[in-house]
Amino acid sequence: MKMIRAIVRPEKENDVVLALEAKGFPAMTKTNVFGRGKQKGIKVGPIHYDELPKVMLMIVAKDAEVPVIVEVIRNAAHVGYEGDGKVFVSPVSEAYTIRTGEKTE
Amino acid sequence: MLLEITAIIRRDKVAPTMRALDAIGLGSMTITTVSGRGLQGGNVMTDIDREVPAEYESVSKITRNLTPASFALVHSLTRPVFWIPKRMLQVVIPSAMKDEVVDLIMSVNRTGWMGDGKVFVSPLEESLRIRTGERGLASI
Repeated sequence: MKMIRAIVRPEKENDVVLALEAKGFPAMTKTNVFGRGKQKGIKVGPIHYDELPKVMLMIVAKDAEVPVIVEVIRNAAHVGYEGDGKVFVSPVSEAYTIRTGEKTE
Repeated sequence: MLLEITAIIRRDKVAPTMRALDAIGLGSMTITTVSGRGLQGGNVMTDIDREVPAEYESVSKITRNLTPASFALVHSLTRPVFWIPKRMLQVVIPSAMKDEVVDLIMSVNRTGWMGDGKVFVSPLEESLRIRTGERGLASI
């Protein structure tokens, strides 16, 4: 299994979630995070914004579903400007549902 | 070998879980305030999270079967996707303790209702205690 962490624009959160839900991935976890990228934040006039608000969505999925999810996130979160965010994929060896104790590998 | 356990649990189960982990010698963990939605798409049924006021209505139901009317309705809402408040616990453990820790977290958090949460086990490459520079098992 893989954990997909997508850091997206807060205003794109709904689009991404609805797109994932439409493809059959309703389950995810959301965290409000702050970050900056290659551009080291943004500069508006004399003011330098170092920490930009973003939304991190965490989805754990089977290996075969990862390309689909990444593509859905990419299409939904894409604007074409700096700050669109990143998608990270990391390994998860086991996942358990607490209610049933069911294990997925 | 190190493993990272990520548990997404109910808010009112954080303290019991911490006490239980403390009892087996795992005092250190990271807690994050997160929002979650499961296979039900965040629909609030009274039993999912007792701390969510019952009058909160799930709007994600509207989006299940999109018609032009419901689409418009959804897009006029500022927050169409409903999230349930959860806590995320992250614990780094030696891989030998995996079964013990997973079973413990599951038994403490199990209420039998939807919304009990998930436990994820993932491999961890390196761990470093910043104060002393210890690495690996010595650092946890």
